[in-house]
Amino acid sequence: MHNGKTSIELVVPSILGYEIVARGAVATFAHFIGFDQARIEDLKTAVSEACINAIEHGNQLQPDLPVHITSSYDGHRFTVEVSDTGTKPFGTITEPKTIEEKLAGAASLRGMGIMLMAALADEFLVEPSAAPGNTVRLIWYQCEVAQP
Amino acid sequence: MLEDELKVSTRVIGNIAVIDLVGDVTTFAEAKINAAYQEMSQNGAQQILLNFRQNDYINSAGIAILIGIVTEVTRNDQKLAFSGLSPHFQKIFRMVGLSQYAKIYQDEQEALTDLQNAATA
Repeated sequence: MHNGKTSIELVVPSILGYEIVARGAVATFAHFIGFDQARIEDLKTAVSEACINAIEHGNQLQPDLPVHITSSYDGHRFTVEVSDTGTKPFGTITEPKTIEEKLAGAASLRGMGIMLMAALADEFLVEPSAAPGNTVRLIWYQCEVAQP
Repeated sequence: MLEDELKVSTRVIGNIAVIDLVGDVTTFAEAKINAAYQEMSQNGAQQILLNFRQNDYINSAGIAILIGIVTEVTRNDQKLAFSGLSPHFQKIFRMVGLSQYAKIYQDEQEALTDLQNAATA
């Protein structure tokens, strides 16, 4: 069981599939801290989607461009930051298209990732990085810790 | 490699076409899932059950593939259902609206029983 503040950092290439490495690391970290399994599943999906966005959109699938993942826990708040190093900024976050719009052909079938991140995390932010690129921040508050 | 992380197979039980999806459902799954659906449709399937097994990873690209299947099912006046999803992915499917277009069953047996009863009712 964890006591106090701690964090992990990870860098993966912009190759689809490496989001699985990131989500595995963050899920293991959350497990060490004592998160319950349902919340870990939420974390895994949200972190995967953040990494996919960084790989596909921010870094434009250029394998040499790294994706930085930092996760920290301060005893109350679990934070995951995913930063790309690309020069393509995320577009303005708009209301996600509904499945009805997608089925009607009025919207791309893709584009559910941001909706999932926003729904699964307590807080979801997209902001420019200090260096070129974008950072997605996912935060879970009042983390429920599984009983031993 | 990720491209090999999904195994897709098909079978027919009564009047229900079952497509088994074993493994991860990601962007790499598109060709396999669409091929299985087309095969079953060309064989005249009217009820299609996507039976998920050991799916630790279904991402937004995988969900987009399934929305594409919903589009085809609607166009072809077929019925679609899902079974075998973990509680987490059942929640995800409800969040994105897939459950409005395809009933979610806990497991294959529950799905087959209900779909067969509905067909004979």
